Formats: sequence, structure tokens, C-alpha cells
Amino acid sequence: MPVPSPGGPLSGIRVLEITKVWAGPYAGKLLAHLGAEVIKVESATNLDEMRAYGGVDINAAPYFLSINQEILSVQVNMKTAEGLDLVRQMIARSDIVIDNIRPGAMERSHLGYDDLRKIKPDIIQCSIKMWGNEGPLGYQTGYAPCFASLSGLTALVGHEGETPKGMNIRYGDSTSGACAALACIAALHHRERTGEGQFIDLSAVESMTSLVGDSLFAYSVTGQVPQSDGNFHPEICPHGAYPCQMTGWISIAAATEEHWQALCRVLAADDLAADPRFATLALRLENRRALDAEIAELTAHQDAADLADQLRQAGVPAFKSMSSIDLCSDDYLWGRQAYRMVTDHRSGSRPIIGPSWRISPDGPNVARGAPLLGEHNDYVYRELLGLPQEQLDDLIARKVVD
Amino acid sequence: MTALKGITIVEVAERPAGEYTAKLLADFGAEVIKVERPGGAPTRHMGPFRDGESALFGYLNTNKKSVVLDLDDAGDRARLDSLLARANGLIDDHDEAWTAAHRLAPDDVSAAHPHLVHCIVSHFGQGAPHEWQKLQPINVINAGGWAYHSPSETTHDKPPLKGAGRFLPDYEAGIDAAMCVLASLLRQRRIEPGKPGGQFIDISEVEVQLNRIDCVLDRMLAGDVEPSDERTAYDMGGPGTSFACRDGHIYIFMTTKGHWNALRALMGDPEWARAFREDWLEFDCTQANVDLFRRHFTQWIAQQEKIAITEAAQKAGIAMVPVSTAADLPRNEQFAHRGFFQEAEHPVFGKVSYPTVSYRMSATPVRIVSPAPALGADQEAAR
Repeated sequence: MPVPSPGGPLSGIRVLEITKVWAGPYAGKLLAHLGAEVIKVESATNLDEMRAYGGVDINAAPYFLSINQEILSVQVNMKTAEGLDLVRQMIARSDIVIDNIRPGAMERSHLGYDDLRKIKPDIIQCSIKMWGNEGPLGYQTGYAPCFASLSGLTALVGHEGETPKGMNIRYGDSTSGACAALACIAALHHRERTGEGQFIDLSAVESMTSLVGDSLFAYSVTGQVPQSDGNFHPEICPHGAYPCQMTGWISIAAATEEHWQALCRVLAADDLAADPRFATLALRLENRRALDAEIAELTAHQDAADLADQLRQAGVPAFKSMSSIDLCSDDYLWGRQAYRMVTDHRSGSRPIIGPSWRISPDGPNVARGAPLLGEHNDYVYRELLGLPQEQLDDLIARKVVD
Repeated sequence: MTALKGITIVEVAERPAGEYTAKLLADFGAEVIKVERPGGAPTRHMGPFRDGESALFGYLNTNKKSVVLDLDDAGDRARLDSLLARANGLIDDHDEAWTAAHRLAPDDVSAAHPHLVHCIVSHFGQGAPHEWQKLQPINVINAGGWAYHSPSETTHDKPPLKGAGRFLPDYEAGIDAAMCVLASLLRQRRIEPGKPGGQFIDISEVEVQLNRIDCVLDRMLAGDVEPSDERTAYDMGGPGTSFACRDGHIYIFMTTKGHWNALRALMGDPEWARAFREDWLEFDCTQANVDLFRRHFTQWIAQQEKIAITEAAQKAGIAMVPVSTAADLPRNEQFAHRGFFQEAEHPVFGKVSYPTVSYRMSATPVRIVSPAPALGADQEAAR
């Protein structure tokens, strides 16, 4: 019945997550991939939508499987008083509670920070909301692309002269989860030193804003409002993505005079190197549209990966713009275990996107796939909460555990 | 009270990736000693500037100390060792040739300072081909896939984009790096006496980007969805996108009958909207319908003002929001309420407004206590 510990620096830390969709589960995943024991509170009557997308088996839903590795699942119906009492017992044995459910929902279930503190005085609670937990706009809810728009990030991303369309529509939720996980671990340090827990009130909008902090600070310093600027860089030219064969694109950044000369050599473009319009960085910046057009003509009939390789060999920063098929079939990424296999209840194993870190010695092991709904009911109720089997059977029969 | 009181970090990083990692720790209250080369960190020489001072450097180095060490000089290299001997962590972001040349490769550091949490942030992680290790952020975000797929709905004839600002992949990696360093420092606090508390943390900027798109890319890896060379492979369809309005831009996201009915009412139930099924967003969301909607909506929204119309939309339950600019944010009541921007004096800039962090912590709030240091301002720390 004991769940094997994956090891890792957060070994011994227990996290309870009352989360749905992406940002909250992603925070839980990162903590689990650092070795914390993360228990997801779930219910058949109040499912994480990710278990339902596609109308497939809730235990084999691709969205859910792709996020929730190394997570434990316990079923409890939080709409019942008994269910809430069980959650409180779990909280009493946890270090961190994370939620990303609707504003006010935790408080209505008497699971606000003041309630939690009474259950466990040194608890760390992290609440992830669109705008944070309260405030004049705290009532609003929305979706990740709305957060990015509100945050100041979308305004900075777009092709020059066009309506700023922002990053891909999927961008944002996972980053908010990462910010939440970071703050939770900082709070563990404070608790370790002082014995004091705390409440972490995370704004998903501000998570996006924090990624454009240098642009916002520059506005405060210079008074110039930054705009969406395509691939423009004020101090590097050429700096952009250039078309290649088929649907390929190559990114090139000539950050120094040597890079520029080497770029012209690799492209066999003596005329560009000698062109007075492009003789210095200042002139290249002044004439960058003409320069970009010249380079695009030279790259258009080349293979993006081959050209990038030649440029890097010549010392020029360059890389192919990677499509989803490029990423999925990349030997280097597979070889480095950027992708790795975890257990899977249906087919035995499933590839996942592994953590961005390697930690040694005593690094965490990421090997277990996402849990079946209620897979760890026995562990949580019998071992952690110490309930007799008959009581658990009764809770299941009465759908308190559902 | 700060979360990391008593923790000391040495930063030898010289790119925004590592500098941001250490900034996150400094803003949590760690003592961060920034080691700068003679003449100063490279980011001191990157714009924009005011009165000769870099705003970028000013942002990335709040709450840090500065010492100048020439790590090619044996005496200064020994001074770095003295700093490391009393530090908890070391943050770096150089390529492997540099770390080897300066005896700062992972094995060098763990041998000399077994107590130390040592983190290197690099483009592709340790062990990448040498010529992959000195790229620019635009190359890294293209290598990680977000450029190819941004913005949504980009056609094959338009370039992939570098993302917001110059350093988006650096900042994303900084979050993971700071998280791992903090996790490892917690282990260091808890380690049995007599055991070395050090660990090496290898962060790949590209793998951070892959991880951030887990629930899209992993379904392709696992064969649930076909990967492709489509620029729209990360997209989710539907009419959501940005539109120009009278005084800027708005973004709208709609997925349900409720959203559509509310929007129709907000627009005054125009004739063109009646051509759509009430539940078209759920059951008839074809490209033709999306195009038709956008054609009409573009004309209507162009006449609206972004704050007034988005406030009305929010009250009606429509996820329509302003595309905020840098000038909008300090005036936003929610940002003001949460104190996201903190005013502080800078010796050259005067009173300026610092964007801070998304996590409000009740016991250990993040504060901008000191501006980025003058070069070598804390040199006595390295004596």
C-alpha cells in the first residue's frame, strides 16, 4: 500500500491539489517531478475537464495523461459535509494546498486560508486565479489568451505593422503553474526557518506580465511605450527568421561583426558583405528591411536544418524553426531524455515530456504515468488517514468517496 | 520578513537567463552576490539606456550586490572560491568551454565545494554539441517550437516570431532554474549533518519550452494526434483572436452558446448575427463561420473603445478583454490593488516603477529593497 517515493529534493513534502485543467495541475506536476508527494483530490461527479476532453475513457484521456505524471489520485465528493471533513483530514497531513478553482469556491467550502490555518497552523496555501484572489476585478474569470492580453504580453507579439496577435493561444497556463510552484517552495524555506506557513495569492495575468518585466521597466525609465515588433532587435542585425525550402524557416542572429562576415561567407554573398548599405550595424539596422529581403532570397532554396548547421559551424547563431514533427522526431531530444517513458495503465508505457532539469546526485525519478481516478484511495484513506477498511467501504457505498 | 533570509547565492551568470534566475532568488530575499567581469556584466552594455545607464541591467539585478572579479586571474579566481565556500548556491549560464576554462564545470565545483547547490542554465542542457551552446534567444525560441507556432493561425508565408521582448525563453528558463535551486536548497537545509548538501542542476532552456506545451506536444509524441509541419499544430480553433478597436486592440475568446448570445445582445442583435446557429461555437464552428463572424465583428469592434466595451462585455459574461499596453498597466485598478508595480529610487533613473511578481505572499512579500548595484559596489564582500 505505501507509495514508492520518487526521491528528489522535495522528498518528504506532501502537496494536496484541488485543481483542474492546466495551470493548477501543472504546478502539482512540477512539484511532483521534484520529488514531492502530490495528491490530487478528484471526484467522478466533479471531474477535471482534462479527464473528459474527447469523450474518451476518463482513465485514458490524452490531455490528462500528458500532464499528471507522478500524481496520486484520491476520490472525494466535496459537495458533501463528510467529504469536506475528509479533505480537512488530508490537509492536516499536508504541507501545501494548491487550488485553481473559481474565485470564492474554496472559501464557500470553508477551505479559505483562515479555515486551513485552524486545521494546520503552518499550512502553505497557494491559490491560482485569473486576477488573484480578490480585488476590484477579482470576480472575473477567463482563459489563458485573455490573461496574456490583459498582461501586456500580447501587445508585444505580432508581425510588424499588424494587429498584435500574441503568442500561440496555448501560451500562459503552464507558466502560471510554474510561478505557483516556485512560490510554494520559497514558502517552504520560510516555514523551515520560522515554523510559519502562509497564503500565496497568485494572479495568472501577472504571471504573464512578469515575463515582459524588462519591457515594462524600460517604459518606466524611458517613457517610450514598447510595441509589437516582429523579430526586430535594436542591437542585433540581421535578427530574424528567414524562409527555407518547403515550409522551413531558419532563425539567424548576427550579434557581432564576425557573425555578419561569416554569414555572408556561408551564404556566398560577397555582394552583401561589400554593400555599403550594410557596412556597419547602424547601417544594417537602418536598412534592415532591404537586408532581410536579400537574406530571404539567399535562404529560400536551402534546407533549414542544413543551413543552420553550416552557419553554426561558422560561428553564426542559427537554428531551424522547429515544427511539431521536428520536435517529436528529434534525436538529440530523445537521446537526452527530454522525452521519456512512464508507466501507463492501458498500454504499459507512454512517452511524456520530461522535466527541464537533471539533478544529481539523488535526483528525482519520473517514472509513473498519470493516475487512474481514485487509484490511491487505499493509500490516502487507509494509510494516511488511518481509516478502517469497513469505514472506507461505507464511504464508497454512500458515494462520499466517488 | 523575506522567504530566503540567510541564504547566500553567488551569480557568475552573464546572460538574462541566469541573471533572471538569481533575480527571482534575490527578490525572495536571498543575498545574491553578482560577480562581474572588469568593465561590468554584458547586460550593463545592453539598451535601452537613460543617461548612460541600462534599463535592462536595472531590471535584472534588483536586490543584488556586485563584486568585480577577473576570473582569468588566479588571485581573483581564488577570491571566487572564498565566496563559494560560504555561499549556499551558485548560478551560471555559460557554455561548457567557458565553465571548463574557469574550473566551474559541474565536477570542478562539486569537488571543490561539495556543499554547494550549483545550477547551470544552458540552451540545450549539458552535453550539447559545442556549436549549439552560444546562440541568441531568438534561436532558442525557434529551437523550442514556440516561435514556429506563434502567433496562432500564422500562415506559412509569414515568419515565426521571437515572442514578447528579447528574452522570453530566458525568463521561462529562469523560473524553472530558480524553482530547482530552491528545492535543492531545501534539501541542503535538511541534509544529515556530515553529508554534503550540494547538487548539480542542469536546466535546458529548450526543454522548458517543451514542458510548457506538455498537453499539446505530448499527445503528438504518444500518437494521440499527428505531429506535422503545420504552423497551426498548437492551435485550438474557434474565433478567438485580437481585433483593432478605436483606441487600441481587444481580444475575444468564445466557446459557448452563452458567450454568443451575450455578444449578440452587446452588439444590439445585428442582422448579420442571425445567420448563425445559436450553438455555432459548439457545433458549427467551421472556418467559414469563423471568417464570416470575424468579417462583421471587425467592423463593429473598430468603432468601440477598448476599456468601455470590454468592461461592458465582462459584465455580460463575455471573455473580451483589452490588449493592454505598457502604459495601460500602471493605471489598471487590479494591478494597483495588488501592488504589482513597486516604486523605488534608482540612483540614475530617480523614482521608477518596478514590475514585480505574480505571487503575493502573506508572510514574506517580495519587495524591491535596493536597485541594481553600481559596478563593484560590494567589493569588500570578495576580500
